[in-house]
Amino acid sequence: MREDELIERAVALLREPVRVDPALDARVMAEIARLPVPRPEPAWRSAAGWLVRRPLHLTPLSALAAAAAIALTTLVGRAWLAPVAPVAPVEAVASAAPVVQFVVVIPGAHAVSLVGDFNDWDASATPMAPRDADGIWSVTVPLAPGRYQYSFLVDGVTWVADPAAPRALEDDFGRPNSVVTVGGS
Amino acid sequence: MRSTLAILALGLGVAAPAATAQDPRLAARLLEPDRALVQALLDSARAAGLPVEPLVDRALEGASKRATGDRIVAAVRRYWDELALARDALGTRASTAELTAGASALRAGAGPDDLRQLRELRAAQPVTVAAAVLADLVAVGVPADSATAAVLSVATMVDDAEFLAFRRNVERDVALGASPIAALGVRLSGLAGLRATTESAPSTSPPSGPRKP
Repeated sequence: MREDELIERAVALLREPVRVDPALDARVMAEIARLPVPRPEPAWRSAAGWLVRRPLHLTPLSALAAAAAIALTTLVGRAWLAPVAPVAPVEAVASAAPVVQFVVVIPGAHAVSLVGDFNDWDASATPMAPRDADGIWSVTVPLAPGRYQYSFLVDGVTWVADPAAPRALEDDFGRPNSVVTVGGS
Repeated sequence: MRSTLAILALGLGVAAPAATAQDPRLAARLLEPDRALVQALLDSARAAGLPVEPLVDRALEGASKRATGDRIVAAVRRYWDELALARDALGTRASTAELTAGASALRAGAGPDDLRQLRELRAAQPVTVAAAVLADLVAVGVPADSATAAVLSVATMVDDAEFLAFRRNVERDVALGASPIAALGVRLSGLAGLRATTESAPSTSPPSGPRKP
C-alpha cells in the first residue's frame, strides 16, 4: 500500500465521529452516587502519607513504557522548551554584569556561532558549544543594558534567527535577525 | 544610486570638521569604494553628535552577510537618519542604547512625537527597554499604533523587568494562537490591574482616540 493511501485511510478513520451512548452520563453519575463518601482525612495523616513507602506494581512492558515516556518527555522538553525558557536568551535585568545565555536547537549542525551587534558580527568571535549530541547549542555572553540584534550562523553558511526571541524589524540584508533586550532599571 | 550615495557621503564627509582615521574593522571587511562611503557617514555622524558604533555594527553585519556594497551603504545611511530622528526626539543626552532602541521603535512605526512623550513619561529612567518592547510588540504582529499606546500607557507604572515580562507574555500568548491585539489587551489589563492592586492606584487604560494612520 502506498504511503499516501495509508495516510488517507488513517485520516478518514480519524474523521469518523465518535458515537457515544446518550445515557452514558446518567450511568456514570449513578455509579458515582453509589460510591461511599470518603471521610476527610486528618491533616497530619495526609502529611504522614508522604513518608510511607508504597509498592508500585508494574509489568515489565509498562515499566519500559514509563521509562520511555520519561526519557521522551525530558528530551522533547529540553528540545522545545530550551529556546523559549526564560534562560534562552535570558534577558537579565540590572545586575553588575548581566550575563545572557543563548540556546538554540539545531540537530545535525557541525558548528554554530552566535553573531551579533555585541561581537562586531564576527562569525569566529563567539562559537557555541554543543550540549551532548542532541543538537542543543549554547553560549553565555555578558551584555550591558541595551537592545542587541543577533543571529546564529550554522556551519559557516546558514543564518538562522532565534525562534525563541523577537524578530528584528530591521532586516536590511535579507536575513532576519533576532533581538535580545537587557534591562537596566 | 551608488553615485548619488557617493556624492552625499562625500558631502557629509566634507561637512565633518574632523574626520578621523578609518575604523580598522571596516578596513578589514569592506572593500573600496564602499569602505570610504561608510567611513564618510561615520565621520558625519561623529560630527553630528550621533553614536558611531551602531553604524559600524550595521556595516559589519552587511559584510558578514555578504551583502553588496550598495546595500551596506544604503543600510548605514538609513540607520544614520533613524538615529538622528531618535536623538532629536529623545534629546542630546540620550545614551547610545536609548538611541538604538528609539531607532528600532521608529522603524516599527512609532513617531518622533511618541518617543518624545516616552522620554517625558520616563524622565528619570532610561527609555531603552520601553522603546525596545514597543518594537518587539510590533514584530509579533501588534499594530504599531496599539503597541505605542500600550507602552505609553504603562510607561510611568512599570520598571524594565515588568516591561520585559509584559512583552514575553504577549509573545507567548501569540505563539499559543491568540491574536496579537487580543493578547496585548489582556496582558495590558493584567498589568494595570496588578499595579492598581499592589499600589492602590487607579488603573490606567491606553490613550484613546485616533493616533497615527
